[in-house]
Amino acid sequence: MFLRNFWYVAATDQEVQAKPFGRTIMNEPIVFFRMPDGTPVALEDRCPHRRLPLSMGKLVGDALQCGYHGLRFDKTGQCVRVPGQDLIPPSARVKSYPVVERYKWLWIWMGDPALADPDKITDFHWFDDPNWGAKSAYLHVEANWQLVVDNLLDLTHLAFVHETTIGNMALVEHAAVKVQRGPNNVLVTRWTIDQPAPPTFVKVGGFTTNVDRWQIIDYAPPAFLRLDVGATPTGTGAPEGKRVGGISMRNLNAITPETETTTHYFWGQAHDFEPGNRQMTERVFEQIQAAFYEDVAIFQAQQRMISLDPDSPTVDINADSGGIQARRIVDRLYAEEQAALAQRAAAE
Amino acid sequence: MAETSWHRVAASVDVREGEAIAVNVGDLQIALCRVGGTIHAFENICPHAYALLSDGFVEDNEIECPLHAARFEITTGRCLAPPADRDLVTYAVKVEEDEVFVAVPS
Ligand code: FES
Ligand code: FES
Ligand SMILES: [Fe+2]
Repeated sequence: MFLRNFWYVAATDQEVQAKPFGRTIMNEPIVFFRMPDGTPVALEDRCPHRRLPLSMGKLVGDALQCGYHGLRFDKTGQCVRVPGQDLIPPSARVKSYPVVERYKWLWIWMGDPALADPDKITDFHWFDDPNWGAKSAYLHVEANWQLVVDNLLDLTHLAFVHETTIGNMALVEHAAVKVQRGPNNVLVTRWTIDQPAPPTFVKVGGFTTNVDRWQIIDYAPPAFLRLDVGATPTGTGAPEGKRVGGISMRNLNAITPETETTTHYFWGQAHDFEPGNRQMTERVFEQIQAAFYEDVAIFQAQQRMISLDPDSPTVDINADSGGIQARRIVDRLYAEEQAALAQRAAAE
Repeated sequence: MAETSWHRVAASVDVREGEAIAVNVGDLQIALCRVGGTIHAFENICPHAYALLSDGFVEDNEIECPLHAARFEITTGRCLAPPADRDLVTYAVKVEEDEVFVAVPS
């Protein structure tokens, strides 16, 4: 199940260069490249002649030339040259996709191009805000995209999956958790008061006392999760909104389906302490990255079990509420998109 | 009629409109919720599959289970939507000097 009428992160800005590269998104093969003037372009990555990926070709002037028989395509996907003949068959064209570069990522619109409004791109300003240090990365995950969403909406897993990094048992046994939902978002707020700081927080925040720790998870469909996390020495007033003497970070996640069982996972970490200190940014990133590798191993193992028998039963527990609300939003939006498509098909 | 006894379970100010809170009387898990100014008490374990109803979503006089969206009328405990298939047990409530008491079988 994929939602089409959304902006997704397709690539990091560094990945998109003059040399074409191919990436599948929602089962559609797409080739990305930059025009000589720097404009990013996304086209269907399948030559309409004999279906070689155009990402095996190269840019010749302003056109992408197929690596097999040399058909050339402009940035709109229109074939502009067929070697050895003057006439260009009308069906010699590939699909083109709206793209926007923002927050050091390349965003792609996978739905009806008429609806592609860049104002609908989810906010990830932390990646270019001078008040924050930030670094992002890409992970390829062999698991369905919704398993990643579930994971981030239920942070009780920190105590079990990440006990050597960002987790400890206090998070499960002593957290006050609240799930709030709107028509198109879920907010999970977790507070752990007067508990020991987890190993990572001690390393980057230097805590010597117990802390009040918050994790505020903001979900927006289809799969954007922005986590406001941090801690202050206990009793200094963080729950009342006074964040002093501690650390505050954003864990930022943009999840893009590749296929039903594989996912492009763009994530990053931003910190508000010493924002200009590159070494600090690296240190914070490395600490959190270790935890992300732990998660990926979990998703892939889950997917293997799911693929063996997709209908095997599951049990829900209290901690699943956030993930369940998010899935309900996705189900509703999917039904709406399918109904709109059916209506349009009927009208035609 | 089984015997009941009154137990102090919360301060009145802690029970707000639009959300439910969890309290215990011994092993009994109870949810408190204020509707139209009046506090109501009902069993806190969803009859469907054990979710805590106090983690659920309150709208006017209805509470929705946080897991599979069964809904109940807060003032009566009446089950309004599946997958739960029975009404909730409710408990009498009284407020004295800003303290909330519920009556449970003794
Ligand atoms: S405890 Fe969650 S998968 Fe087993
Ligand atoms: S546990 Fe309440 S509806 Fe399933
Ligand atoms: Fe994790």
